Amino acid sequence: MSVKTLEIDGKMVTGVAGTTLFGVAWDNGIHIPRLCHIGGLSDVGACRLCLVEIEGQKRLQPSCLTAVEEGMVVRTDTPKLKAQRRLIVELLFAERNHVCSVCVMNGDCELQELASELGIDHVRVRYQNPSLAVDITHERFGLDHNRCILCTRCIRVCDEVEGAHTWDMFGRGTKSHIISDLGQPWGESDSCTSCGKCVQVCPTGALFNKGVPVAGMRKDRKFLKYIVTAREKKQWIE
Amino acid sequence: MHDILHRMTQGQASEDDLAMLEELAGLLRETSLCGLGQTAPNPVMSTLRYFRSEYEAHIRERRCPAGHCKIEAEVYA
Repeated sequence: MSVKTLEIDGKMVTGVAGTTLFGVAWDNGIHIPRLCHIGGLSDVGACRLCLVEIEGQKRLQPSCLTAVEEGMVVRTDTPKLKAQRRLIVELLFAERNHVCSVCVMNGDCELQELASELGIDHVRVRYQNPSLAVDITHERFGLDHNRCILCTRCIRVCDEVEGAHTWDMFGRGTKSHIISDLGQPWGESDSCTSCGKCVQVCPTGALFNKGVPVAGMRKDRKFLKYIVTAREKKQWIE
Repeated sequence: MHDILHRMTQGQASEDDLAMLEELAGLLRETSLCGLGQTAPNPVMSTLRYFRSEYEAHIRERRCPAGHCKIEAEVYA
């Protein structure tokens, strides 16, 4: 197992070969923002929030998909990156109807936390105010497309951990949205095992437990690490 | 971006919209995952570079130098 030495934000750090820049940065206390990454699932680099500057490379690279290399010089927090992240999050807010005051996840939402971290107190682009459906056909859970940011965590956890692959992405561009099975209502899905993993990994209130009041939902994401560790190391440890 | 451009052709855009258009085009070019996203803002960026005066005419004078957008009638009516 070889170890690579690199520089992130002026700090000398080491990472095992094959690990990502994102993981090494977080291990060393450099918290790169993210919405689509979640420890234990594969990475897709879809949210574009973990983009970093790497010296000698013209383009920005998603740190969750970039492996550490010897002698890399990485910057994660330049004013330009901050401005871009801010605009990306503003676009997320403008794209759908994210109304925190009536959301079950108010106070524990990753999108909300990120927005306040980036100092977003207003959105400079026009709200699209799309008219989107809410699927409450499932017995225990609900899906609100208005709050979905298309991070695809639910799709990945259902496929990779539960093995059901109930969720998938449908449509393109502004019309993209997640569907269960072949577009049937969630409650009529044959493949769904009602395990609720998708609900727990969802960063916003798009997937929620039914019957929870506003700001009453708290998600438990520890289970994922528990299951993945058990699978990889054959040890049932936290 | 389409929304901003559409408002420009209607004579309803402001200077802020022009700045936001440039920022959005830059963001799209630099942060996109695929080649389509990276090159999609090119028409906007190149027209901003070579025909900036036309954008400015739409905003400041509410007129279309090329005579393509029908905004005069609405504004002066």
